[in-house]
Amino acid sequence: MIIVQKVNKFFGDFRALNDISFEICKGEIVGFLGQNGAGKTTLMRILTSYYLATSGKVEIDGNDIVRHSLLCRKKIGYLPENPPLYMNLTVRDYLKYSASLKDVEIKKQKMQVDRVLDDCNLKDVQNKHISILSKGYKQRVGIAQSIINDPQVLILDEPTIGLDPLQILQVRQLIKRIEDKRTVIISTHILSEIEQIAKRVLVIKNGEILIDRPISVLLDEENISRFVFVVKGDRNEIEKVFINSKEIISESFDSCGDVHSVKVKVLQNWTNHNELIHKIIRAKAELVEVKKLKPTLEEVFISKVSNQYIK
Amino acid sequence: MDKIFAIVKKELLVYFKSPIAYIVLIITISVFNTFFFTIIDQNKEATLRDVFLVMEFLFMFIIPLLTMKVFSEEKFSGTMEFLMTTPTSNTQIVLGKYIGSLLFFTSIIVFTFIYYLIIEMFGSPDKLAVLTGYLGIWLEGAFFIAIGVLTSSWTRNQIVSAITSYVILFLLYFSMIYVKYLGGMSYDIIHYLSTSTHLKNFAQGSVSVSDVVYYLSGIMLCILLTRVSIENRI
Ligand SMILES: Nc1ncnc2c1ncn2[C@@H]1O[C@H](COP(=O)(O)OP(=O)(O)O)[C@@H](O)[C@H]1O
Ligand SMILES: [Mg+2]
Repeated sequence: MIIVQKVNKFFGDFRALNDISFEICKGEIVGFLGQNGAGKTTLMRILTSYYLATSGKVEIDGNDIVRHSLLCRKKIGYLPENPPLYMNLTVRDYLKYSASLKDVEIKKQKMQVDRVLDDCNLKDVQNKHISILSKGYKQRVGIAQSIINDPQVLILDEPTIGLDPLQILQVRQLIKRIEDKRTVIISTHILSEIEQIAKRVLVIKNGEILIDRPISVLLDEENISRFVFVVKGDRNEIEKVFINSKEIISESFDSCGDVHSVKVKVLQNWTNHNELIHKIIRAKAELVEVKKLKPTLEEVFISKVSNQYIK
Repeated sequence: MDKIFAIVKKELLVYFKSPIAYIVLIITISVFNTFFFTIIDQNKEATLRDVFLVMEFLFMFIIPLLTMKVFSEEKFSGTMEFLMTTPTSNTQIVLGKYIGSLLFFTSIIVFTFIYYLIIEMFGSPDKLAVLTGYLGIWLEGAFFIAIGVLTSSWTRNQIVSAITSYVILFLLYFSMIYVKYLGGMSYDIIHYLSTSTHLKNFAQGSVSVSDVVYYLSGIMLCILLTRVSIENRI
């Protein structure tokens, strides 16, 4: 669906993208992950033909992005980093305008506008001016605009930036609802974001792709497991148990009265749970709860980026 | 064509929602009131000729205010990124924007037509001269708008856009003053480039091909340059 080959982008002497290559298949949901200034926006602007690449090639559904620019743009829905909104239009007028610029047949325009108003929960503000909407609403209007012509490819640049937790949740649910059967690219500098939406991540740093892997593989590669033991009893005795267990790589205590929650890291092939539990009981402590924690993308990311790549 | 129409419609919608539209309308009408009655008072024979020359002077100040945000605002607010990534060609974008502003300007011109009707009641104006005068002022406005749209495409700052327009319009308008004492070729060229030369002809009821060509080619040049300018994103 999307083929990117050796794309470079220079702003003057500054190299914002460095030999980027990847392919994205139809229906894939891919996250671009990277810190601010990594080059995510620049890459998305090239994919949407807002910027021209300095060198390299981009194809959307078999069409070259430079030679068949209009055809490619027809297939793409794009939410830029700052939602592009005309403040003194109403939500409905803006969506109608988007529909006519994006080749929605005149007969179908009203229907499409109503559909995205519905999809994005914007029905109740459809006749309000965009300028008076809250940030969460504005973001949803931006997303509504991007899906007005049912594009095959959806490109969302930091769709949840600057929103409060509830709004983030709403936007995330909205994306889940509209990603159906589409190819979706979503960028963010927040790791947990990608973990919940995308199936594959491209980690971008200084204009280069560091990692390109399915999220599940990325998480499995990490060979460390983490557990939380919630233990009731004397802190000193319990500390001794954990510190003296050789298999435990590291532990941290978080106490509240005589209840202690101990986070431990062990190698993934660790099997001696029973021995540790016996030791705890022998120390006259009570084991309240044991939980295995799934590794988060955040940890994987930090370990990857810090160990393997920053040298 | 549909898309040009959609852009025109949206431009007009935004114009009529912004205070600047009404400010411009009020300024135009009040300036007219003043000048119109002074002029009628002074030379009893009613004519719109001088009114057209006043109009020209007035539009030179007003049109940059109308056009300054055409592209600058889109660049500033980020909607340019939306516009340029929809499947709309640059030509459609420029034409839609230009025609939108032109229609808004035309609606102001139409407003002033009331004055013509008053004149007709008071006396018998040279009907032909009035018609050519209106055509002239409309063409000149269309040219000024093309210049304003062009300067608006150069910057994301509306004020910079307006000031750049003023510089260009003043140069075109006042150029005759500076070259009075020049002779030969350079005089002829600047005489031709000066906007006021052409409008005077129209106001006197004489339309020559060269006057019309002057405005039309100026408009086309500006539209082409605007197209090039928006294509040149990084
Ligand atoms: N129009 C531009 N002109 C000059 N430099 C730019 C431009 N756009 C982006 N950059 C630079 O390119 C780098 C990548 O920026 P960007 O793609 O916005 O990063 P991200 O979206 O990952 O935060 C940054 O260092 C930024 O300063
Ligand atoms: Mg960015």
